[in-house]
Amino acid sequence: MILLGVISAALMYGVAVFPVDRYLPEASTVSLPIDWIFKFCAFFSVPILVYVNGLMLYFVVRYRHRPDEPMDAVGSPIHESRLLETVWTVIPALLLIALAVVSYLVIPLYYPTGQAAASAVTMEAIGHKFYFEFRYPGLTQSVMNEMHLPVGVPVTLDITSAEETTDVATGAVIHGFWIPEFRLKQDMIPGMVVPIHFTPREIGTFRIVCSEFCGLGHSHMWGTVVVQSKPDFDRWYAQQVQAGRSAAAGVAPINLAAGNAAAGQALFAAKCTLCHNAAPFAQRKVGPGLANLFHDPAHPRLVTGKPATPDNVVDILEHGAHGDMGVMPNMQANGLTAKDIANLVAYLKTLH
Amino acid sequence: MAKALHVPSDAEYADVSSQRLLGFLFFLISDCVIFGDFIFSYLYLRDVAPVWPPPGIERPYLYLAAVNSMVLFGSGATMHYAMEGIRRDRRRQFVAFILATIVLGSLFLAGQAYEYTHLHDTWAGSTFGASFFTLTGLHGFHVLIGVIYLITVFIQTLRGTYTQQRHFGLTAATLYWHFVDVIWVALFFLFYIY
Amino acid sequence: MNEQSAPVGTVASHVGGHIHPPPDSFVKKYIFSLDHKVIAVQYFITGGLFFILAGLLAELMRAQLMGPNNHVLSVETYNEAYSVHGSAMVWLVIIPLLTGGFGNLVMPLQIGARDVAFPWLNMLSFWLFPPAGILLFASFLFGAPQAGWTEYPPISLQMPFGTSLWCLAIFLIGVSATITGLNFLVTIVKMRAPGMTYTRMPLFVWATGTTALLSMIATANLSAALAGLFIERTFGVPFYNVARGGAPVLWQHVFWFYSHPAVYIMILPAFGIVSEIIPTFVRRPIFGYKMIAYSSAAIGLLSFMVWAHHMFTSGLAHWEQLLFMALTMAIAIPTGIKIFSWVATLWGGKIRLDTPLLFVLGFLSTFTFGGITGIMLASVPADIHEHGTYFVVAHLHYVLFGGSVFGIFAGLYYWWPKMTGRLLDERLGKIHFWLMFTAFNATFLPMHWIGLLGMPRRVATYDPVYAGTNEFVSISAFVLGFSFLIFLYNALRSARHGEIAGPNPWGARTLEWMIPSPAPYYNFKDIPIVLSGPYEYGAPLPYANIRQDLATVPVH
Ligand code: HEA
Ligand code: HEA
Ligand code: HEC
Ligand code: CUA
Ligand SMILES: [Cu+2]
Repeated sequence: MILLGVISAALMYGVAVFPVDRYLPEASTVSLPIDWIFKFCAFFSVPILVYVNGLMLYFVVRYRHRPDEPMDAVGSPIHESRLLETVWTVIPALLLIALAVVSYLVIPLYYPTGQAAASAVTMEAIGHKFYFEFRYPGLTQSVMNEMHLPVGVPVTLDITSAEETTDVATGAVIHGFWIPEFRLKQDMIPGMVVPIHFTPREIGTFRIVCSEFCGLGHSHMWGTVVVQSKPDFDRWYAQQVQAGRSAAAGVAPINLAAGNAAAGQALFAAKCTLCHNAAPFAQRKVGPGLANLFHDPAHPRLVTGKPATPDNVVDILEHGAHGDMGVMPNMQANGLTAKDIANLVAYLKTLH
Repeated sequence: MAKALHVPSDAEYADVSSQRLLGFLFFLISDCVIFGDFIFSYLYLRDVAPVWPPPGIERPYLYLAAVNSMVLFGSGATMHYAMEGIRRDRRRQFVAFILATIVLGSLFLAGQAYEYTHLHDTWAGSTFGASFFTLTGLHGFHVLIGVIYLITVFIQTLRGTYTQQRHFGLTAATLYWHFVDVIWVALFFLFYIY
Repeated sequence: MNEQSAPVGTVASHVGGHIHPPPDSFVKKYIFSLDHKVIAVQYFITGGLFFILAGLLAELMRAQLMGPNNHVLSVETYNEAYSVHGSAMVWLVIIPLLTGGFGNLVMPLQIGARDVAFPWLNMLSFWLFPPAGILLFASFLFGAPQAGWTEYPPISLQMPFGTSLWCLAIFLIGVSATITGLNFLVTIVKMRAPGMTYTRMPLFVWATGTTALLSMIATANLSAALAGLFIERTFGVPFYNVARGGAPVLWQHVFWFYSHPAVYIMILPAFGIVSEIIPTFVRRPIFGYKMIAYSSAAIGLLSFMVWAHHMFTSGLAHWEQLLFMALTMAIAIPTGIKIFSWVATLWGGKIRLDTPLLFVLGFLSTFTFGGITGIMLASVPADIHEHGTYFVVAHLHYVLFGGSVFGIFAGLYYWWPKMTGRLLDERLGKIHFWLMFTAFNATFLPMHWIGLLGMPRRVATYDPVYAGTNEFVSISAFVLGFSFLIFLYNALRSARHGEIAGPNPWGARTLEWMIPSPAPYYNFKDIPIVLSGPYEYGAPLPYANIRQDLATVPVH
């Protein structure tokens, strides 16, 4: 018993001082209490596990039927003990009540009851097949897959899921919005908007992971969240406002001849490989493989049904496409400029 | 199976039929859960919908359903008297009332068929239609099975399978029939009144 | 209901009456058999085959997950593999083996009955099972389901025809489970031997009875939910599709209203097996019989009230989150009572560490661990981080594999002689145990860690930072798969070389051990009379009307 007590105490100490932050940064305000709850569970689970396993082993060794004992020897006839049974009902009950109360206190920290905190920036996160869309107040266009947040400013995120169509076959599905470093997760459910609330507390770049099966692209549905200092954030935001204005002012005509294949390649790696391989048509990820786009005898036509000419590809990149495989985002959604498109087409032409 | 070999004694018959009755009761409970599931779905969809019934959908016509309900409840009463008939060994009463039950049950089905053909909403038309047709359809299916079952036990009784002492099949049929009635009360309330 | 003990001495007619002659044709004896013991073996064989298939799918998945960006399986095939793996393990392996297999084999014997209440229904239930399994695996030909064993819409509405086959398959197995539940419940209520009051029933019967009640109610609900999904997929009847006014979260409610009770359908019989094996090998009365029995009932009741703990990230209202969290945690209390009572039974015993007990000890260790990770999931804020990750995958394998599968193997080693008349080899059994136990922990323990660090479930590729752990997990999973070959060899070997068991090789005291092994057709020549509880080691046997020459304590 004493030995088990010592083992438990040592492990409990280990749990208490375990540096979670070193393995997975605690990058938002809600990370701390959630990790605390987890540690609390682990803390009281340790003695339960140690005693159940330890006593089991000890009894098995101590009360073994020995060869010199008669074959029909039997053990203690004790049937029950009120005291023991009460103890092992009451103690777990108390621990669980404590856990429930602590959890109860933590829920409102990320799950705003009634009014969201007044000072908070409210923005939207929308799940698509297979990328995340963010809408900022004051921005005319959305930001794709890369969320920027200022450190230390409380945020309320309205989380939902949407697709361009209402057709069952390609309609919206459930995604999961998860930032492990923030310990935050909310399913993105079509037809429902669920707000969550938090404050980023560390500068850095963290992952956004889709945690709910949403189809073929689920395995690849990743985004990033960039937590910046306030000035950095403001600079980024100003750029976005600028980009929105120029988009509204009309898209500059696309000058294909000026396309730069090397720049296109870099862009492709950054923005397109989420959904496309630089491989033959059949090796699809979300969308089709794009090597041979212009020279594939098996696929003389694009998914839009038009011939594979540069102009028609530009059309897809500008306006997106929507067919059997899913949705190809338009240029705003992909964050492309007219120049980017020219570069991409130049690069795509080089692929065989 | 070896039917003819063994004629059960009264005590054995009582044992076996009490077992079967319990089994039948359990069957009704699980059947009830199936209705419960769709009723829950109906209430849930109703709860999340911004307006109810969904825009452009009319509720089915109350008066027809009310008349039809009376027919079904009437058949519950006649079933009761039919059962009394067998318990007291009054053959004529039994025959008259079980025939009445069968006729009323069929009338109910006819009424429902009429209603189905005269509604604008369809099964796949709206969430209201989905719940309405699934639940009333499932119920109608139960009534249909019930009518067939009643005809079967009726013929069996004429052939002498069931007697004043031994009438497990009839007891089960009565239970089933009353169960179908009770479900209808819930559906009637949910779809025509609530 | 008047359920007082029948007066001792009157062998009431209600427990079987006359004896039919055994069937004479091969088909009636082994294929369309009405005998609960033969049906049990049919369940074991069919379920065992599906276990191998579902396990091989898991090994394929692990091969794909060996490294990031592997191309062993395409993404589609990977999705199909885990969906069918999960569905098959739950519905074609664990539930049929525990209720159809052990329930059929043991429960009628333990209550001193000649068969179940409705043998014909029993046969029907079994024969719904192989077609269901074939449908499920046949769905691979038509684009198997990809949305996991939970098949959440809307994505499951967008999948090819295989998902409809999945609906049909699970519907069939659901009907089968409902019928079995009904049948068992009537059997337990009506067919106990005279003198066997509820508090004299063996604990396995308690567990089977509670499970039967859960199967009957919860599974009926599953059938309805599946019918809903099927008609929406086939006829476009809007229940779950938002664009048409439906609600995807509705499916989650109705699915989990079945599937949470289902996880107790998958563990309660295993609890029952543990409660039988412990007193037998410890040679002392089980500690806290009544608390163990009533806690089964409590778990059964509570299990209907916790379903939404799978939906803490689905935007439930506040009060719902709190309510379901509290009720979920409440389940740990009756479960804890069981665990502690079992450990306390070990105290002061005369313990024989034979293979069945070894598996039970393994069960205690791993299931407790899995239960505790369950508690970590039950806390709403913690679940916010853990939901949809490998932490959940680890939890579910700790309870389903560490609980149910360990329980199944314990039961197999224990009742094998009653089924076949021969013992399994002890030495091979022990090797099997240690290999399986070690490989099991090596496979599933690291999953907790990578889950917490950020690896979501149901993905065919992952961030390379998890590569090392995943490789280790995959290798352990292959070893785990290998460990079952030892059992397979042992089972085949015992048919020829197994030691002849005799009626009661373990010195147990429940009724199934009071008759020859394998049990004769119609089980008991005379219906036994029960005089007291089943675990009173040291006291004379509490039965009248049994053949004394069989009811001996073994000498090895
Ligand atoms: C056999 C099956 C089985 C069993 C028995 C359990 C038992 C429990 N499960 Fe588990 N669970 C699953 C199978 C099972 N589960 C499956 C398959 C899933 C995933 C489904 C999917 O999404 O695919 C799942 C998922 C799951 C979730 C959802 C996670 C998520 O997706 O976000 C939750 C959340 O609450 C949960 C909780 C619990 C709890 C509290 C118990 C409790 O019953 C455990 C109680 C036991 C103990 C606690 C141990 C013994 C007790 C003591 C020694 C007493 C002292 C203890 C304390 C004071 C803590 N489980
Ligand atoms: C009782 C249930 C049960 C059991 C026993 C298992 C057993 C195993 N499971 Fe499974 N699993 C589930 C139930 C179960 N699983 C469920 C419900 C899910 C969730 C699905 C979902 O997300 O929807 C899941 C999901 C799941 C995942 C997550 C997939 C994902 O989210 O992407 C993984 C990944 O590693 C996995 C692995 C394994 C492994 C390696 C085994 C191994 O233990 C298997 C070992 C067994 C064998 C290998 C078979 C025996 C083999 C032989 C006897 C060899 C002889 C062969 C011949 C002679 C031909 N399982
Ligand atoms: C969110 C996923 C996604 C992203 C990101 C994406 N695409 Fe696509 N793309 C698709 C899908 C899906 C299709 C197929 C659409 C259809 O079925 O009609 C497609 C189709 C295409 C086609 C037509 C292919 C053919 O054979 O007809 C081209 C060209 C293309 N994408 C280029 C790009 C480029 C260049 C980028 C990067 C800027 C990009 N895509 C980013 C999903 C994506
Ligand atoms: Cu989006 Cu998974
Ligand atoms: Cu659950």
